[in-house]
Amino acid sequence: MSPLALVIRGLVIRDGHGATVVADVDLEVEAGGTLVLIGETGSGKSLIAQAVMGLLPQGFTAGGTIAINGHAAVDAGQAGLLRLFWSRETMLLPQEPRAALDPTMRIGRQLFERTGRGDAVAALQAVGLAPEVAQAYPSMLSGGMAQRVLVASVLVGRAPLLIADEPTKGLDPERLDQTRDLLLSLGQAGRALMVITHDTALARALGGRLAVLREGRIVEQGESAAVFAAPRQPYTRAWVEADPSRWRPSLRCCAVDAPVLAGHGLRFGFRGRPALFERLDIHVPRGGVLALTGPSGCGKTTLGNILLGLQAPDAGQVSWAGADPYRDRAALKRLRRRYQKLHQDPASVFLPGRSIGLQLSDLAQVAPELDLSSDLPPLLERLRLDPRLLRRRPGEVSGGEAQRLALARILLMKPELIVADEPTSRLDPLVQRETIALLREVVAGEGVGLVLIGHDRALLAATADDVITIGR
Amino acid sequence: MSGQALSELTKPHSEEPRSSVSQDDPERAGVTFETHSFRMLARVRAEGGYRLKAGLALPLVLLAVVAGLAMFGPLLSPHDPTMQDLLHALEGPSLAHPLGTDHVGRDVFARLAHGAGRSLGIALACVGAATGVGLGLGLIAAYAGRWSDMAIMRLADLMLAFPGILLALLISGFLGGGVLPMLIGIKLTLWPQFARMARAIAQGELKEPHVEAARLAGFPARTLLIRHVLPAVLRQTTTLATLGLGAAIMSISALGFLGLGLQPPTPEWGAMIGELLPYISEAPVQMAAPCLAIFISVLGATLLGQALSEPDSGKETAG
Amino acid sequence: MRPALALLGARAAQAALTAWLLATLCFAFMHALPGDMALRVAAARVGDERVTVETTERIRREEGLDRPLAVQYAAWLGRVATGDLGQSLVSRQPVRQEIAYHGRFTLGLGALGWLVSYLIALPLGIACGFAPGGWLDRVTTGIAVALASLPSFLVGIGLISVFALSLRWLPPAGYRTGAHMVLPALTLALGLAAFSVRVIRNAVVEVRGAFYMTFARIRGRSAASAFRHHGVRNAAIPVATFAALQFAYMVDGFVVVEMLFNYPGLGELLVKALLARDVPVVMGAGLVIGLVYAGVNLLADLACLALDPRQAARAAA
Repeated sequence: MSPLALVIRGLVIRDGHGATVVADVDLEVEAGGTLVLIGETGSGKSLIAQAVMGLLPQGFTAGGTIAINGHAAVDAGQAGLLRLFWSRETMLLPQEPRAALDPTMRIGRQLFERTGRGDAVAALQAVGLAPEVAQAYPSMLSGGMAQRVLVASVLVGRAPLLIADEPTKGLDPERLDQTRDLLLSLGQAGRALMVITHDTALARALGGRLAVLREGRIVEQGESAAVFAAPRQPYTRAWVEADPSRWRPSLRCCAVDAPVLAGHGLRFGFRGRPALFERLDIHVPRGGVLALTGPSGCGKTTLGNILLGLQAPDAGQVSWAGADPYRDRAALKRLRRRYQKLHQDPASVFLPGRSIGLQLSDLAQVAPELDLSSDLPPLLERLRLDPRLLRRRPGEVSGGEAQRLALARILLMKPELIVADEPTSRLDPLVQRETIALLREVVAGEGVGLVLIGHDRALLAATADDVITIGR
Repeated sequence: MSGQALSELTKPHSEEPRSSVSQDDPERAGVTFETHSFRMLARVRAEGGYRLKAGLALPLVLLAVVAGLAMFGPLLSPHDPTMQDLLHALEGPSLAHPLGTDHVGRDVFARLAHGAGRSLGIALACVGAATGVGLGLGLIAAYAGRWSDMAIMRLADLMLAFPGILLALLISGFLGGGVLPMLIGIKLTLWPQFARMARAIAQGELKEPHVEAARLAGFPARTLLIRHVLPAVLRQTTTLATLGLGAAIMSISALGFLGLGLQPPTPEWGAMIGELLPYISEAPVQMAAPCLAIFISVLGATLLGQALSEPDSGKETAG
Repeated sequence: MRPALALLGARAAQAALTAWLLATLCFAFMHALPGDMALRVAAARVGDERVTVETTERIRREEGLDRPLAVQYAAWLGRVATGDLGQSLVSRQPVRQEIAYHGRFTLGLGALGWLVSYLIALPLGIACGFAPGGWLDRVTTGIAVALASLPSFLVGIGLISVFALSLRWLPPAGYRTGAHMVLPALTLALGLAAFSVRVIRNAVVEVRGAFYMTFARIRGRSAASAFRHHGVRNAAIPVATFAALQFAYMVDGFVVVEMLFNYPGLGELLVKALLARDVPVVMGAGLVIGLVYAGVNLLADLACLALDPRQAARAAA
């Protein structure tokens, strides 16, 4: 029987202040097998990968043992010893592929220097890249190409154990599928894989063994298929159910009101480039949800800004309940606060360094009808926000709280339409589900129109009445 | 130190991830206050901390010494800084003349003390004016964009095309010394730095969601600029202003040394050094005093700038 | 080579603008001085005592000082553009000749100072960058900060008092022998090195901390090999950019250093011309300094273009 590719026993990681961030982790990866480690942001999953590579951040200390490819177990605190395994025994697929490449050197010279030309070309072709890529500089590659180049360099290497740290972080759906296929092909080539991710769909697709990490401890591990089919722990169950593909579709609302927002024949392109979209018609009824999707750079966010009166379209009209904000300045002034946006990074809609409560009361300067003392408390209650949070500054609240506070800020202005620009893409699945549920509640309860911009097809399908795909 | 070199000393903020913890966090100030001995100046953080870590105490003490000299020095010295007394020329330190007398018998301490106010005052005025003009134009360039941005930035480029103090030298030289030409000349060499930095920060800040959110709520442009953009710009240009103060003190003294600064009998450190240079062997103390004064004030300003530019303590990365 | 041409164009425009502003400043100054311009030129040319009404009038006609101001301005710009700056009002030598004579001295001093500064800064900066926080780094940083806080004339005075007055190893001023060059060049070099040593050190530290260096080692390179292959080139980019910026410091430096050491370079020429209100010479010296600065900037741009493919791509776009 071939030895295990990775055996971690009793791994403990402490941060610079001595606080334990990862405790009692036991993990195994079989030779040629796959282990997926999932967990939310801050659960310590990347630290485990870094510990195996001997790359823990400065000040962090580790205890326990790590055995790689049948070699004698090494003390996890001995980063220097673990680094001796680099390249021959272990290989890392880094989170940010472009940061891993020297910007001043051609791909071929830096990654395939010691490989024969034939092997390099074969490796590049195996990941679907033309041999000319070897002549390119890293800055000429897209993020996805850079990642494939790194996989190609792994293919020509010898290391039997590969560690992929968040390989799908921030990717749009097409590249997500590509990355999944690349990882699967590495597994089929006989390499042992340890994949760190928070993406349940990826974990499901990769199969193998699954370990669920929460606050630095493993709460459940087993065969991936079995865990997904019948999670034993409540936490794992919540994770599995938070996957948007499991959501119940929204109750289609059947408002036949005049549209609260409409766009006719919209066209926009950045100067000197072909139009991102043209002759686009859009309408959102009161209480309706319209989803906008498409690959990165297709102009989703720009379209959202056009609809919000922030960026004039090249051609076409926007109608806010009948008035064009780009031509009718009086209407723009009157309706400005009714058309609002929910941002991707919720904490950043608040001015750093000023308490959130003060920033909410600032709104009274431009919204004379606003009465904070009577409007705010019921709103906070509905959004399940503790009033004490108002004393905090933007950097001092969690992502989920920040998104609900941002929503409260918008709702104070009694909006008629909200453009939500990837409002949950930076949130963990559990918080994502909660936030979307809240948005749906607001839309249904107040009759607000919602334009939801996003990548996740399953999420959009489960939430929106209608989906418009932009680009190509 | 030239204006252009300043930007090299204030680079940290461009690549530093912005953090919500403000620079004037009282706890942090308390920590940095402890590091006051010269030996500790170069205490470097364990990870990636390659910037000089200086406490605030030493630079503040240095600047306080100079400010004290400027404020109380003239009161302590009974002598007129321009009164010549050829019978007592080039005398060493004594009770009557604590720092001795110069080549025409003027009291060096009196000249040093009167010069302190002038050097600091003009330097502060230069930096104040340069900051005001630079920030104003930088904000306008960033907010208005298009042709006003073009015009302002080309103007800044034009000023920067004159290396070092060349422009100040020409203006001071042409207009014949005096406070105003010097002020204009030095200000002209300093403002483009502020304008460029303010514009870059403001452009980044204007793209921040909190600015967009405020715009969507209907706040006017004035509020956006003053409440949302200016604080970040000020926070990040403080360092440049402090370093600019040191640069201005150096430029003033260099102009004075060359004889292109303030008019002769006026006490000014650079001019004092220039005048005493032929007597360097006979009057070492008289010579060393203004040298030390310049060194202390510029060092104080430089160290203060560096202490202020220290980024927030490194954040741990956890996965 | 399109990006290189674009850079050349940008720097040529910079040089032209500098020349224009300088010419305008000089013109405005000549005409803003109180009193009759022709009289002043006459006084400068034949001496105060021998000025007569006839010579003044002749000069007024010859120099076109009776024409409208706009015409004179255009004529002046035309002369500057063709490089004809006339004669020094003081020495009555052609300005070109004056500049060629003094420029030679400055060129020698500047080149030597620059060379010495990198002989000091490169090894020291790299050594500090490899051990940030070590004793060498702390000492170097302390000295660099102190030197950066000293105007160059103070550094020079310090060197004079130690090496010329106390130890009597070197002459305090003059220009006739090689020994005369040592102190001025060292003064200049110390001032330059105070800044560049930190830039070099920071570049080295930054590159060593870059993830691509770690990743090169994960792929199996040794630390030394990773630095040779990926570190040197990346660290050279900020250093090359800074070397051009340093020319600005050099100007402050050599103007003051030449005055201090009585060294007959361009800086000394410029200051003396300013003190004597010798406008054509001021114009000429300023022009040369501005043009050389544009040239140095162009060289740095081209060096970065060659070192950094990202800049080439950006410039081509």
